[in-house]
Amino acid sequence: MPLDKQNGRSVQVLGIDAGGTMTDTFFVDADGEFVVGKAQSTPDNEALGLIESSREGLGHWGLSLEDALSSIQTGVYSGTAMLNRVVQRKGLKCGLIVNAGMEDFHRMGRAIQAYLGFAYEDRIHLNTHYFDEPLVPRHRTRGVMERVDMFGDVVIPLREDSAIAAARELIAQDVEGIVISLLHSYKNPHHERRVRDIVRAEVEAAGKSIPVFASVDYYPVRKETHRTNTTILEAYAAEPSRQTLKKITSAFKDNGSRFDFRVMATHGGTISWKAKELARTIVSGPIGGVIGAKYLGEVLGYRNIACSDIGGTSFDVALITQNELTIRNDPDMARLVLSLPLVAMDSVGAGAGSFIRLDPYTKAIKLGPDSAGYRVGVCWAESGIETVTISDCHVILGYLNPDNFLGGQVKLDRQRAWDAMKVQIADPLGLSVEDAAAGVIELLDSDLRDYLRSMISGKGYSPASFTCFSYGGAGPVHAYGYTEGLGFEDVIVPAWAAGFSAFGCAAADFEYRYDKSLDLNIAETASDDLKAAEARTLNEAWHELTERVLEEFELNGYTRDQVTLQPGFRMQYRGQLNDLEIESPIHTARTAADWDRLVAAFNDTYGRVYAASARSPELGYSVTGAIMRGTVPIPKPKIPKEPELGATPPEDAKLGTRRFYRRKRWVDAQLYQMERLQPGNRITGPAIIESDATTFVVPDGFETWLDGHRLFHLKEV
Amino acid sequence: MAYTKAKIKDLVEGKIDRDTLHAMLATPKDKERFVMYLDILQEQVPWDDRIILPLGPKLYIVQRKSDHKWVVKSHAGHEFCDWRENWKLHAVMRVRETAAEMEEIYPRLMAPSTDWQVIREYYCPKSGDLLDVEAPTPWYPVIHDFEPDIDAFYSDWLGLAIPERAA
Repeated sequence: MPLDKQNGRSVQVLGIDAGGTMTDTFFVDADGEFVVGKAQSTPDNEALGLIESSREGLGHWGLSLEDALSSIQTGVYSGTAMLNRVVQRKGLKCGLIVNAGMEDFHRMGRAIQAYLGFAYEDRIHLNTHYFDEPLVPRHRTRGVMERVDMFGDVVIPLREDSAIAAARELIAQDVEGIVISLLHSYKNPHHERRVRDIVRAEVEAAGKSIPVFASVDYYPVRKETHRTNTTILEAYAAEPSRQTLKKITSAFKDNGSRFDFRVMATHGGTISWKAKELARTIVSGPIGGVIGAKYLGEVLGYRNIACSDIGGTSFDVALITQNELTIRNDPDMARLVLSLPLVAMDSVGAGAGSFIRLDPYTKAIKLGPDSAGYRVGVCWAESGIETVTISDCHVILGYLNPDNFLGGQVKLDRQRAWDAMKVQIADPLGLSVEDAAAGVIELLDSDLRDYLRSMISGKGYSPASFTCFSYGGAGPVHAYGYTEGLGFEDVIVPAWAAGFSAFGCAAADFEYRYDKSLDLNIAETASDDLKAAEARTLNEAWHELTERVLEEFELNGYTRDQVTLQPGFRMQYRGQLNDLEIESPIHTARTAADWDRLVAAFNDTYGRVYAASARSPELGYSVTGAIMRGTVPIPKPKIPKEPELGATPPEDAKLGTRRFYRRKRWVDAQLYQMERLQPGNRITGPAIIESDATTFVVPDGFETWLDGHRLFHLKEV
Repeated sequence: MAYTKAKIKDLVEGKIDRDTLHAMLATPKDKERFVMYLDILQEQVPWDDRIILPLGPKLYIVQRKSDHKWVVKSHAGHEFCDWRENWKLHAVMRVRETAAEMEEIYPRLMAPSTDWQVIREYYCPKSGDLLDVEAPTPWYPVIHDFEPDIDAFYSDWLGLAIPERAA
């Protein structure tokens, strides 16, 4: 991001990551150069933080918001608006239609929903468990008489009068949406569709316009509570979020933009805010980083990547193996089990804003699980925070420049942090303030390191075959700490680490994905006729899903021939518990030979993910689901490529020195301005490389060099 | 972490908000809690004897004002016995030991068989408040639930002076 090229530039892509703490924006111009903007989040009206963050970012290029927006072709949003709406249970007043006799299952929920999202200590502490109010209360739930069994056979025919009565009663209660979820409708959709049509007719007869959501039209997958929760979310939260996104779009249009926002979705692609299935945008922020790492990996040839992201509140880790993400099919969010494809990621509640406390009995240091979030810590006087945080330790130890936090938007007071640290932690432990703070940082680093190690080895890999990407506002501050001694092949800190999630959003495909549950079971030695029949069943499911994908793209003005379709399926050895998601090598499946190709693709993947010797074809095969993904081409950020210059950093990159404390001694760390460093430069610690939005710490014993793609490589020396 | 007295009062009355309750459960107990808790209970009882330890809703070990003897006393003011004795032996008692008595409170077939288990209810003789319930086998002696080591609790756990106790 050299600052020499002023204006005349045409900004092409905007990525947004509106997190709980910071709102990041990421702009890319026609030459693939980029700039990161940062501002504090404004949860009450997200558009404010967004506009502020954009102004800040574009300011680095000397551009005004109005100048830049007119040329942008694509904008991708990820944020927490919908999640907050669900967490706070501030959705629409919905009605629910289920099987007669099953009216209580939604409010009873699954037992796991009583402790989802809890820290481990709380999970084993039964007193803390509780059930949330259901999204739809019992008095707006009605049953219809019908029953389809798990094979899809009709056991009790639909009694249409019960559906009419249910619809009328809900309509009379003035509901704002009606959700229908019947048992095993993913297997046989006819009853549910019939109920849907009856309800629609009753709504029309009543002269009202109430949207109707049948689970089979959205999430035709097994697991009743998951499917029902997810379909309710469409009615309950997605519609209001559509309005929020519309507002953000129009806030940008008021400032001269001409594009429609897309939203990062849980499956790792972006979708339009006009999409039918909007519930899957419920969480998107942390996914952006993983998509960004995958994109960089594809372009630059890193096949195995450990993605690590430290923000204000959490440490998120995801693994990319052989350029492939793992997709989880039944994630949980806002204490609800859901049926959404979600990029698999593990999180611990430890970030830069995590509170530090002493256990009053054992005097053990406890980090989090709660955090100051966007309020940083005691060091920010206006925050109102009284408990010290990790960021306070950073300020005390000289990791952070108190005058340049967010480019100086927030002034931090080192003395305040020092005093609070002394009273709350150092004095009770009989330590000096710097030793107490350094101890906390060491503890955090070793926690994160153990977590990263266990996650990689728990999946049967060694860190030596992975490149670790470290990003997020605080990732580069701790990269040395949580990777030290793990033996990663390489540790990479992108120069745009703080905006990496936003970058990932900009790099994500415009992709719709639909899933459907299947139950195909077949022996290894099955006859060709049987194989062909199973192949055709899968093909029918693909066909059904294709229609839905194309329908979504048509909403956004794309014709069918512009869409690239990629079918997939989930397969497992019969009797095993876990399936694998496989990208299909063929686009249509009709014959026994087609079936064999699907099986071969599965066996290949299984051998790669686990081990070749663990393959068990003698068990036979089950297909548990069909997947269809469709993409259209969109402009993506180009990854910069600059020639490498000398190893010595230019003089004008040096910013003087700052006292820096680690391992019981103060040293003078050389400070650098990140943007002024040149490709090829080598820096030996102790050094701190500062940028407005992030700080990269290189302590003694470490060395880093900047490559032509503006990626820092960190090494122990 | 210290809480205001109003928050603790909400806790005692079962009106506390979910987030505070969760924080209370998940973090070490606040030092001032017991004293604050006793204060709140003391304000709610209609008599002046000092509460030493609550034994249950509406039941306390108190220091009798007149002679500083420790006794078990109900909210309504009935004095049961010395604090070391089993107060249940001095309460009004009802035993549910037939199917008909069980069916007053449970649907048929959802209550225990009274050959195996009975329900014993202990009431305050003064007010009729239900103070405790136990569900033992029919022949089992009256259970002495709780024999607290108040000296250790006050001096070792809380660091408080043990209130005066007449023999």
